[in-house]
Amino acid sequence: MQAEALRLDDAIEAIRVRFGSQALTRAAELPPPPAWPSKTPLDRLTGIGGLPRGRLSLLTGGGTCGKLTLGLALLAGATREFAHAVVIDPARGFDPWTLLPFDPELGALTVVRPPAPDAAGEAAAALARAGAGFILLMGEVPEPWLGPMESGANRSGSVVVGVVESPGRAFAHASSLSLGFLRTGWVWDRGQLVGLRTVARCSKNRVAPPIGEAELEIRYPIGAAMPLRPSTR
Amino acid sequence: MHVCCGLTAHLELAQRRDLYGTPVVVGHWDDHVVAASEEAAAFGVVPGMALRQAEHLCPQATFVPPDPESAVRLRELIASALYDLAPVVEVRAEGVAWLDLGGVPSISGSVREARRRLRAATGREPRLGLASGPFTARLAASQARPGRLLRVDDARSFLSPLPSRVLSLDEEQMERLDLLGLRTLGAVAAIGPRELESQLGHDGRRAVLLARGLEPDQLEPWRPPLFTSAHRQFEPAVEDREALLFVARALCDDLAAELGLRGAGAKHVRVRLLFEAGDPEARDSVVRHPLSSTAELFGLVGSWIKDWRPSAPITELWIELPVLEGAGRRQLRLWAGGDGNSDEVVAALERLQERHGDDVVIRPKSALVSSALPSPALRERVRVRA
Repeated sequence: MQAEALRLDDAIEAIRVRFGSQALTRAAELPPPPAWPSKTPLDRLTGIGGLPRGRLSLLTGGGTCGKLTLGLALLAGATREFAHAVVIDPARGFDPWTLLPFDPELGALTVVRPPAPDAAGEAAAALARAGAGFILLMGEVPEPWLGPMESGANRSGSVVVGVVESPGRAFAHASSLSLGFLRTGWVWDRGQLVGLRTVARCSKNRVAPPIGEAELEIRYPIGAAMPLRPSTR
Repeated sequence: MHVCCGLTAHLELAQRRDLYGTPVVVGHWDDHVVAASEEAAAFGVVPGMALRQAEHLCPQATFVPPDPESAVRLRELIASALYDLAPVVEVRAEGVAWLDLGGVPSISGSVREARRRLRAATGREPRLGLASGPFTARLAASQARPGRLLRVDDARSFLSPLPSRVLSLDEEQMERLDLLGLRTLGAVAAIGPRELESQLGHDGRRAVLLARGLEPDQLEPWRPPLFTSAHRQFEPAVEDREALLFVARALCDDLAAELGLRGAGAKHVRVRLLFEAGDPEARDSVVRHPLSSTAELFGLVGSWIKDWRPSAPITELWIELPVLEGAGRRQLRLWAGGDGNSDEVVAALERLQERHGDDVVIRPKSALVSSALPSPALRERVRVRA
């Protein structure tokens, strides 16, 4: 083990001597992208104290693992902090009503329902380039649009979060941070289901050295909600 | 103010590079001389004189008719080549190019690049002058050696010994200056503007200001043409939609690169298809917000092509941007970080609605003002693994 570490150090040193000191940099030495503190437990898993701005972060996992609840919490927080928080929902599965218990600022929320996957990619790239503060992707973006979306977000500093069950290779490759969720149990209170326990594991982190995993207990917000009416601009 | 002037051969002469180094006179027969090369000028041939007189003075010269259209094309070429080096560029057909370098961070870099581009466009080393204004810069350039820069820091002392004929006055005014004993710019600068204005009119006042290095004239900025297009011919004719999309994307790439260089955006997009047989077909649209990137252009053009049902095999594809608009508003975004530019986001949403219909964008609103809602509970028990 010791010998392997030494050989690795030698190889790194040789690359630096030959191609310059910046040719190969340890992740720990890279300047992290600016972070958006989401005020959720996820901030501790990213290693930079928040979700990275200008990068794509993924919340992945099977059904009822809590990823969408966390995504909604992030979205509600974003509506309170940014002028524009956008949901791109090609499958038309996002119901604004579900966001209400998280106390969002509805004036900042926009839902885009593109008619086709390509249109979803176009919308993501255009909004990232335009500088929408927070973009929640409720599905994958087609591969040709990942590049424009990434570069647009990188330039404008948009926080882009994707919520998908199992990301495709291109989508996973484009992400800088990938958090996988796995439900470990339900939370019951006086015979009523009030939440779930899940393990959030950082499976990919390009913004900081990866931090292992965290156990989360997510309590469903239960109570009255105000009715909504969708309006078209 | 820092103005750089590049002096090259008259653009009528620059089109005949094969005649460089020999006496050349450009002009119509029975008319006046439009341009004369340095070699012809040595014999006393100057622009404006009768061509017969020029022939008498320099019979060995090559006489060529002017080609104003080509000269204008070359002027446009030079202006567009210099456009990204300075905020204001002016190019004249007599072989003068000015660049206002005020605010440019690396003046020497811009001058060096201007020299290279002028040499590439005209085939000769330009003479370069750098001064506080266009008049002094042009005179400095005229005194510089080819390929060299003459920088003038004190315009008045530089201009003082120069003859007063460098002022662009007519013959009668020059004669009057001579009668007044004002034979150098220093002498002209020494008298008051009003005194010379009473003798020569408004030109007299301007002459005094020029002689003092006060530069009353402003450059006339060149503006790029507000139209552009790209096209591709197909041999043999194309029927495959994927091939057409591939070519359309490449054309959109080219157009976006050109728009990027100009800092412009397309307000109007038109696509034309020419067929082996039958009339050409076209689609066009006016867009509310200028398109400038490949993704935006191809998003529109590609959607048209995907839906198009061509009547015959396609021989030619044209993508035209008949109306361009300066993208200054987009540049403001460079100052705004993150969520700073609400207008841009609204514009992007409006573009999506233009493309895919109003229903694409929905803004939920609450029907009630407020309601007592429980706050969500997210409790964590973090276990960090090394």
